[in-house]
Amino acid sequence: MAPSTPDISMPRIAATKRTTIYRDMVLIAAAFFALIPLLAMHRVTDFMIFCIFVMSFDLLYGYMGRLSFGQMLYLGTGVYVSTLFSLHFNPNPILSLMAGVAGGAIVAGILGLIVVGLDGASFALANLAFNQVGFFLVGSAFQRVTHGEDGISAGVEPWGFLDFANESVAFGFVLLCLLFTFFMLRILTTSPYGILIRSIKENESRVKFLGYNTFFYKWLTFVLAGAFAALAGTLYTLYIGFVSPVFIHPLNNVEVIFAALIGGAGNLFGALIGGVLFMTMKDSLSSYIPQWEWILGILLLVIVFWLRGGVTGLIKILYGKAKMAKGAAKEVEKG
Amino acid sequence: MIQTLLYGLTIGAILYFFAIGLSITFGTMQIINFAHAMVYTLGVYFLITFMPVVRDFFPLATLLAIVAVVPVAYVMERFVIRRLYGESLDYAMIATYALLLIGTDVIKYVWGNTPQPVTDPIGISFQLFGIDVPVYRAVIVLMAVLVFAGLNLFFKKSIVGKIVVAALEDTEGVRCLGLNVDKYFSMIFILGSALAVLGGVLYAPISTAEPYMGHDILLIAFAVVIVGGMGNLTGTFVSAFLLGMVLAITGRYYSQAADTMVFAVMAAVLIFRRSDA
Repeated sequence: MAPSTPDISMPRIAATKRTTIYRDMVLIAAAFFALIPLLAMHRVTDFMIFCIFVMSFDLLYGYMGRLSFGQMLYLGTGVYVSTLFSLHFNPNPILSLMAGVAGGAIVAGILGLIVVGLDGASFALANLAFNQVGFFLVGSAFQRVTHGEDGISAGVEPWGFLDFANESVAFGFVLLCLLFTFFMLRILTTSPYGILIRSIKENESRVKFLGYNTFFYKWLTFVLAGAFAALAGTLYTLYIGFVSPVFIHPLNNVEVIFAALIGGAGNLFGALIGGVLFMTMKDSLSSYIPQWEWILGILLLVIVFWLRGGVTGLIKILYGKAKMAKGAAKEVEKG
Repeated sequence: MIQTLLYGLTIGAILYFFAIGLSITFGTMQIINFAHAMVYTLGVYFLITFMPVVRDFFPLATLLAIVAVVPVAYVMERFVIRRLYGESLDYAMIATYALLLIGTDVIKYVWGNTPQPVTDPIGISFQLFGIDVPVYRAVIVLMAVLVFAGLNLFFKKSIVGKIVVAALEDTEGVRCLGLNVDKYFSMIFILGSALAVLGGVLYAPISTAEPYMGHDILLIAFAVVIVGGMGNLTGTFVSAFLLGMVLAITGRYYSQAADTMVFAVMAAVLIFRRSDA
């Protein structure tokens, strides 16, 4: 048996961590409830689904440092697998959701074997290429099944009280999924596994040198990110009920990258803030200016050159400055 | 079949013009340049604008388009890309993607969304093995070979070329010799952009000019660069024509699957290469 000393302290640390997670989850739920009076409820639901997607991307990019230009593929897989499942097998929303998530995880598991071994640039581009292939398969090759560009209506039917036509039910369900995602990712990223993937981000060869099979951990992270992205996708299916290749279009990858960056990569709160900020921007700008992508471009340049930490980074800096100012004031008071 | 092969050669030549700039930029500066697509599209729209001015004299309009793009490329290099040398690859990718977004919207704003046709500047065909071959396409292929030979000469013989080749191997080492590497990178970047414009301008009469034409070729050119090896000049040439052939042959049987086939080849190369390493 292993020495028992660590066992005494470990659970306590874990317990304190758990309470902070619960506190954070209550805060997040409250924040989204607070958004309802500002926007319409169905918009907030939309925002939350996008936030789940951003969190999945953040696991890959923010925590493991692998920038993918193809995360839309997994969102789209979730969307289409759940839609087709509901049409051809079973209209139950929960089963469709599970099918979609499993589909995303399987596709990520297979493609992950190919792409995970690549370094920065090839990784990003290979993902982009596979996303293009997925877009082609959905948009053209399997047009008979997916109806291509015309889109297709999902066959999800209400199950018990789970009726997605009811706004409040949809809101509650999506909020639960968001909190679940946050909870899981929070636990994962603070676990030894999370420390390991952050170490891979900093210096992969050293992690390898320590004897870890980095390929496996990278693959696992890739699959997890794919599964959570697919979860967001299935929620779109359940909630919107009508899907089209927009959900798998490779050009839309920039949206999630932007959201993760503006919130602050490598921080789940950053992902949530970024998701809400991006969607607000998209909503408000697109109603005033038909072509608004250049604004996105300029903001991206601003982030890259002056604001790498995103909004959460900015808050940290301001907070630090305020603290320093306070400290300085105290020093002055002391004389 | 010969028609298909000829088409493959033409596409291969265009891909080469486009991919060589990407490949050099990556090899020297470690930057994946999404904005290359913007330069390419911009060049085609400049061509359309200049055509009436020079009374539809295609070569002169091409030259003007290339000259017009040079300052744009310079500004991009000087104020965005140069600031990201040696920084993380991700930020460089995101920044150049941002440039692409801005550039595409500017193009849409100035020239509009609707596709614009560009007429074949030669419009004569000759007979080869009993089929019609447009002279224009033969010219494109010929120019690709000439550019390849010229670039080889440039990189092997000229002092600027030699410095860049050395920098491809070891940037720090070249810098230690007291050479201002940035200046040469800047020149190479502009050269790459000019070649992309040449590719775009030559391709325009075969397809049509539209704001997203750069996006389409960008993905395939990335595949070319990955298959050929980043920063490998001869590899880029070979893989451009190889993937051009893949495009043409797949396109002959199932046109919508052409792009996908290219990425399949790329995936195969990626798997093969990793097990090799």
